[in-house]
Amino acid sequence: MSTVIETVGLSRHYGSGDTLVKALDAVDLRIEAGEFTAIVGPSGSGKSTLLQLIGGLDHPSEGEVHLAGQPISSYSGRQLSDFRRDHIGFIFQAYNLIPVLSAAENCEYIMLLQGIKADERQRRVATMLQQVGLAGREDRRPSQLSGGQQQRVAVARAMVSQPDIILADEPTANLDSQTGMDLLDMMVELNQRDGMTFVFSTHDPKIMERARRLVYLRDGVVEREERRD
Amino acid sequence: MTWHLALRNLARNRRRTFLTAMIISLSLAALVLTDGVISAMADTMVRSATRLYGGDAQIHQRDYLAARDESFTFGEVAALLDQLDQSEWVEAATPRALAFGMVSSSASNRAVQVMGIDPSREARVSKLANVVVEGDYLDAGGSETQLLIGWRLAQLLEAELGDRIVLSVHNQIDETAEQQLFRVSGIFRFNARELDENAAFILLPRAQQMLGIGQQIHELALNLRQASLAGQADLPLFAQLSNADRIAEGWPQLMPQLDGMLQMTRYSTVIVGVILFVLAALGVINGLFMSIYERVWEFGVLLAIGTRRRVLFGLILAEGLLLGVGAIVIGLVVGVLVTVLVAQIGIDYGGMEVAGVALNEVIRPQLNLSQLIILPIWVLALTLLACLYPAAHAARIVPARALHKSL
Repeated sequence: MSTVIETVGLSRHYGSGDTLVKALDAVDLRIEAGEFTAIVGPSGSGKSTLLQLIGGLDHPSEGEVHLAGQPISSYSGRQLSDFRRDHIGFIFQAYNLIPVLSAAENCEYIMLLQGIKADERQRRVATMLQQVGLAGREDRRPSQLSGGQQQRVAVARAMVSQPDIILADEPTANLDSQTGMDLLDMMVELNQRDGMTFVFSTHDPKIMERARRLVYLRDGVVEREERRD
Repeated sequence: MTWHLALRNLARNRRRTFLTAMIISLSLAALVLTDGVISAMADTMVRSATRLYGGDAQIHQRDYLAARDESFTFGEVAALLDQLDQSEWVEAATPRALAFGMVSSSASNRAVQVMGIDPSREARVSKLANVVVEGDYLDAGGSETQLLIGWRLAQLLEAELGDRIVLSVHNQIDETAEQQLFRVSGIFRFNARELDENAAFILLPRAQQMLGIGQQIHELALNLRQASLAGQADLPLFAQLSNADRIAEGWPQLMPQLDGMLQMTRYSTVIVGVILFVLAALGVINGLFMSIYERVWEFGVLLAIGTRRRVLFGLILAEGLLLGVGAIVIGLVVGVLVTVLVAQIGIDYGGMEVAGVALNEVIRPQLNLSQLIILPIWVLALTLLACLYPAAHAARIVPARALHKSL
């Protein structure tokens, strides 16, 4: 397997002196293509910070994130935008769909940014929404969908641009347990069928059971790793 | 998609969008009306100053206006009038002999400006023939003792129609005071204090004879077919009519104080415009910022999924542009309707004098292309300018902070 993302000595500190908070401290992590990895830890352990740094949403205080061997810290703002657009798919805890766009338009937007032609966009949107079980609901706006359906649209939006890796921050936290498990089943299926790389954060034991790799974080430090092959 | 998003974002909070648009619309409407009123007032002032008596342009001996010396006359009047009568530029022209003099009645006396005029030509240039309120206008074939005075002068002299008035002027040949008896044949009312109180009109030949200036005159007033041309100091006609001895000038040169006043009225439009624009801009900035603060997380999402900051900046500008265009359409409709309505009613200044010019006419706001094209372009440009700050703010949002704990 090839390495998709690698972090080397990745740290994120807030404040200084006596008020210095090490949200993340020298994390070395390698994500291989096709992995289904869970970042596990209690609240405040640094899960979200780690995902933000991997996704280029924040700058590390120290260390580096490498994409295909290239450090992204050297990227300009525009390059970082392009990096997120072309290589990273995000799934947010609170769905975070654009409320004025329909389910199809939410998925289509990122492909517009990529400059993909209209017919290809429409084909991919139709396929993805069907895969996540939302065929026939393409024109509905987020307010017309349930929480589970909105998160399915978020998964479709994250995957439709065909990124190298999908980062999901507690994607099931706002869903009831059954809907959350259904969503996770769907993500597992997409991982196994399409080989899509998933990294998600969670502290839900039921969800951890589905992950093939678990990375335990505590106080910003990788405490241990666990693989279930 | 940017336009699509911008339009839907504006529709998201319709009340706020409407109120923000109204700030722009009403500012534009107020500006259209203000410009219309000021344009109309400026035109009225010019018309009052020129068409009431003075004429669009005048010809004088070169040093006359500076010295007001009655010996500074010019001749070849008949030839000049022929030339003017045939000119394609000139609507009408009239010769005048002018002198400072004294009028005396049995009750009082008063210093006045004596004006010798050609009645038929004068009637085509000034409004004198139309403002006679008692008695008759001067008749070139009538008595040589005809005298037209203003209603205020008549009051001051306690004179009535038919009363005898002695008029004294300075004869330029024998350097003596020339006194002759006239009878009040008419009383006029320009509703302009300067004329109503200080002017006395007699027949031109009589004035020339009393002043001892032969066939010469002091002033030749003319109206142009296109009045606005009088504002051009380099009008070819003025050069044609001028020579070493005499000079032809339009009203801005003849009445610099009025020209200055009009410049000030134009500045006042600019000042009103700036005030309205600043208020509108603050409203736009406020509206957009409220909208941006409500959508910070959304911008975080857009940035997170790969939207470039430039695109986000463009999205806010697109919202401002759509808001501005919509508001301008409403503002133009409101502005035109209000201006037309006020024009129908009219604004009556009751003869109030501004810069020595009486606003005798009811002022009716005017609509012109500048209000319908230039003002909206300015409003749109300034609306976009007001959007730059919120747009830049949105484009600087840090996605990690915007998304907070939801990634």
